[in-house]
Amino acid sequence: TLCFQAFLQMCNLPIQVVCRANAEYMSPSGKLPFIHVGNQVVSELGPIVQFVKAKGHSLSDGLDEVQKAEMKAYMELVNNMLLTAELYLQWCDDVTVEEITHPRYGSPYPWPLNRILSYQKQWEVRRKMKAIGWAGKTLDQVLEDVDQCCQALSQRLGTQPYFFNKQPTELDALVFGHLFTILTTQLTTDELSEKVKNYSNLTAFCRRIEQQYFEGHDKDSSATAPARSAKRSLLR
Amino acid sequence: MAAPMELSCWGGDWGLPSLHPESLTVMAYAKFSGAPLTVNTISNSWRAPKGDVPVLISEDIVISQPAKILNFLRKQKYNADYELSAKQGADTLAYIALLEEKLLPALLHTFWVEAENYCSVTKPWFASRIAFPLRFYLPGKMSRAALNRILLTRGGPPLCSLTEVEAQIYRDAKECLNLLSKRLGTSQFFFGHTPTTLDAFVFGFLAPIYKVCFPRVQLQEHLKQLPNLCRFCDDILTCYFRLTVSGHSPAGQDTADANLQKLTQLVNKESNLIEKMDDNLRKSPQHPPRKLTTLKLAAGGEGSSPLNRLSP
Repeated sequence: TLCFQAFLQMCNLPIQVVCRANAEYMSPSGKLPFIHVGNQVVSELGPIVQFVKAKGHSLSDGLDEVQKAEMKAYMELVNNMLLTAELYLQWCDDVTVEEITHPRYGSPYPWPLNRILSYQKQWEVRRKMKAIGWAGKTLDQVLEDVDQCCQALSQRLGTQPYFFNKQPTELDALVFGHLFTILTTQLTTDELSEKVKNYSNLTAFCRRIEQQYFEGHDKDSSATAPARSAKRSLLR
Repeated sequence: MAAPMELSCWGGDWGLPSLHPESLTVMAYAKFSGAPLTVNTISNSWRAPKGDVPVLISEDIVISQPAKILNFLRKQKYNADYELSAKQGADTLAYIALLEEKLLPALLHTFWVEAENYCSVTKPWFASRIAFPLRFYLPGKMSRAALNRILLTRGGPPLCSLTEVEAQIYRDAKECLNLLSKRLGTSQFFFGHTPTTLDAFVFGFLAPIYKVCFPRVQLQEHLKQLPNLCRFCDDILTCYFRLTVSGHSPAGQDTADANLQKLTQLVNKESNLIEKMDDNLRKSPQHPPRKLTTLKLAAGGEGSSPLNRLSP
C-alpha cells in the first residue's frame, strides 16, 4: 500500500487512505490496493500508473527508452524477489504464520471464519510458491535471495538521491514501499530487516522519501499502529 | 584442473542444441565462459525426468537449477561476468527477473498450452525422446505444470478465463521483447563485445521462440520484427554452437578442425608434387615409352611411390 501512497504523493496528488475489511472484494481485480476516483475504480500499480498518466501526471517522462526498459526490469526484480519473499515469510514460514499472520489476517472476522479464511489464503499462497519453484526453498535461501536483490538495488542506487538521478519515478515509489514495510513490520525474527539495513544507502533512501513526502501527512495517514510507531523509530 | 562436469538436458532440433530454455541458458553460459561440459541429452534415462532439468553432475555433486548451476560454474572459475561493473551485475539480475515474469509465461504457453502447438509439435517431439512408458505420461505432466504456473502467477479474478489471461501474457511478452530490443540497440551483446550471463539467459529464452516451427506463431512473428534480437540469436548460434547437435566439447572440435586442415594441406602438397613430376615426365625426351618409363619409374622410385599410392 505504501508504494501507492508514495507514488501518488510524488505526483502531488492528495489521497485519503481508508481501511476496509472487504477491500479485496471491492477491488475490480481482487487485488489490493485500489483507488476510487469520482466514479472510476482502478487497482494494481500498472493500471494506476496508466490512469494517472492519462490524467496528465507522469513521473517517468524524462527517461529515455533504454532507461524506461531498465526501470521496468528493476520493477520486475522487486516484484519477483521482494514481494515473493515477503509472501513466503508471511505464509510459508510456520513460526511467523502461527504468531503473526493468522491472527492479523483473521482479525476482522469472528471464529471460525478467521481460521478458515486464513488457512484458505495460506493454501493459495503455498500453491503459488510450489508452481514457481519456491516451495523447496529454506528460509535461509529466501533471505539470501533478498540479500542479492537488495545488493542489486543498492548498487543501482549508488550515491544518487533517486534511482534515476534527480527525479523520483515509479521505481522509487515501489522500492520505498517494500523496503519500508520490511524495515518497520514487527516479525518474529529481525533477519529480514537486518538484510536491508546492511545497505546504508537503501535505509538513507527510505528515510529521505519518508521525510520528503510523508512528514506533513502523519495525521491523515491511517497506517497500521505498528507501522506508525515504528515510523517514529526510523526517523530517529 | 576442475573435475569433469556433465550436463544432462533435453536435446535439440531446428538448428538449436536444445529446445528447453533453461538447458539452453546453461549450455550458452558454458560456451561463453569456456567451461568444459560434456552434454548428455536425456532420452533413455529413468533418473532424469524428475522435473529437474538441466542437471549438472560433477564428481558427487548434483546441481539442478540454472541459477545454481551458473553459480557453481563461477566458483570453479568459469566466470563470464568478470569484466562487469557492480551496476551491470545489478542490471543483469533485473533483466533476468523481467524475462521470467514477462516472457516465460508466454513461452510456456506457446510450447505447452496452446492446443495446436502442443499436439502437433511439442508432445510428439518430447514423446519421441522419452523412454517407454514414461512418454505417455510425462509430456502431459509438463503441460499441466506449465498451465498451472501461468494461471497461478498471472490469472486473477478479472482474468478468469484462459483466453483473457492469454491475451494479457502475450501483450506482456511482446512488451518485454520490445524492451530487450531497445536495451540491446546496435551492440553485439548486452554489455559490449563479450557475452555474459544476461546474454546466456536472453539467448536461452529467445532461441526456442525464434527457431522452433509452430503452427501458431504470434510471438515468433513479433520477434522477427525486431532484427537486432534475431541477429543476436544467429550470432551466438554461429559463433558458439557451430556443431549444433552432436555435443562435442569445444576443445575436441578444435583439434578435429586443426587435423582436417593439416591433412588438406598435406594432400595439396602431394598433388602439387605429382603435377611437377608429370611435367618433368612430359618434357623429358621421348624414348620408346615402355623401357624408359620403367627405367624412370625405377630411378625415381621414392619420388613416384606417393604417385602410386595416391592414384586411385
